[in-house]
Amino acid sequence: MSQTHIKPNHESPPGTPRWVKVFGIIALVVVLLFVIVVFTSIGGPHGPGRHIPTPTPTIEVQQP
Amino acid sequence: MPPGLRKFALTAHITFSVGWIGAVVGFLALVIAAMTREDAQTLRAVWIAMELTGWFAIVPLALASLLTGLVMSLGTRWGLFRHYWVLVSFTLTILATLVLLSNMQTVSFFAGLAAETNSADVDELRSGLWGELLHAGAGLLVLIVVQVLNVYKPRGLTPYGWRKQHEQRTASPSEDAAING
Repeated sequence: MSQTHIKPNHESPPGTPRWVKVFGIIALVVVLLFVIVVFTSIGGPHGPGRHIPTPTPTIEVQQP
Repeated sequence: MPPGLRKFALTAHITFSVGWIGAVVGFLALVIAAMTREDAQTLRAVWIAMELTGWFAIVPLALASLLTGLVMSLGTRWGLFRHYWVLVSFTLTILATLVLLSNMQTVSFFAGLAAETNSADVDELRSGLWGELLHAGAGLLVLIVVQVLNVYKPRGLTPYGWRKQHEQRTASPSEDAAING
């Protein structure tokens, strides 16, 4: 007895799986949080530059 | 890719990926050790150890994991853009590597500060630990997610993957059972 299982020939691509949608939503939330933290300076400036002191302008005194 | 080479590449990829997770755990242990100690000497030593761990263990392992992952995906029928789990894993690994390389600049800055014998910025050294706890903690979470995706391989073809599979099916109907069967 032989029985062949023929897969249905779908003509259109399958929809996005649910787990991918969940990942996308999480990624969007994380990116939004990051943007909010960086642009509102809640967590202070980001990166090593925040620790480097800004140079103070020096006034040159011209000698006569 | 021949089966022998594929096994070798897979072994290398697993080794580097798991090694990356282990190195991040070691980095986190250093951060927590520094946060729970009071003495400045330990704090300075930890920042220097974190820089060494980062540049000589975590960064090489991350790059090796990324490279072997690319070889595994492009050299096998999984492809890089055919399955959602491969695409998500690849994106997360790229992001983790970029954030790691960026964060290592901060670690190097603090390690340099810690190495200065006359530096009295103990409070600044201590304040920098929170950022490292966040980066290493989030990084570890991302790496575990990637690991889970790589083991479970959740189903789902991208439109590009579906089109490629459709083309292969019409060309040779018996060949597409190896991956998706």
